[in-house]
Amino acid sequence: MTKLAQWLWALALLGSAWAALTVGALGLELPSPCREVLWPLPAYLLVAAGCYALGTVGYRVATFHDCEDAALELQNHIQEARADLRRRGLRF
Amino acid sequence: MATGTDQVVGLGLLAVSLIIFTYYTVWVILLPFIDSEHIIHKYFLPRAYAVAIPLAVGLLLLLFVGLFITYVMLKNRRVTKKAQ
Repeated sequence: MTKLAQWLWALALLGSAWAALTVGALGLELPSPCREVLWPLPAYLLVAAGCYALGTVGYRVATFHDCEDAALELQNHIQEARADLRRRGLRF
Repeated sequence: MATGTDQVVGLGLLAVSLIIFTYYTVWVILLPFIDSEHIIHKYFLPRAYAVAIPLAVGLLLLLFVGLFITYVMLKNRRVTKKAQ
């Protein structure tokens, strides 16, 4: 089974479970606070996933290891290459 | 370690995401279990907004993505017309 099929399967299963519980089709008498938490649950999971993604991106941006020496060396290499190519006749 | 603006932007994103996550979690998960007489309910909108606001934001995002794609495609078509 492909990854897409697996994800769709899982979504369909969880989605139908949530729908059945919210509509009350299973005949369970859930206590009122539980029902109040249950019905916004898909929206909550989406927002939580979005926050996790945003937070991870922010954290990785903040802790990324800059290599300043390597950056300078790369700039020098680029200058040398441009000068060399210009000498050989390539017009930029 | 990242320097200057990188660190500020990164930590800012992290802080924003944590604030949104905590507020939303309290709103959706914790409030139903707190007595309706408690003063904390004053700081939260009616429950229907907990789904309406993310839905509206999501639709706005989709709108912006669609507009951006339209803009880029129109710009490309004008460029190819000029090149012909």
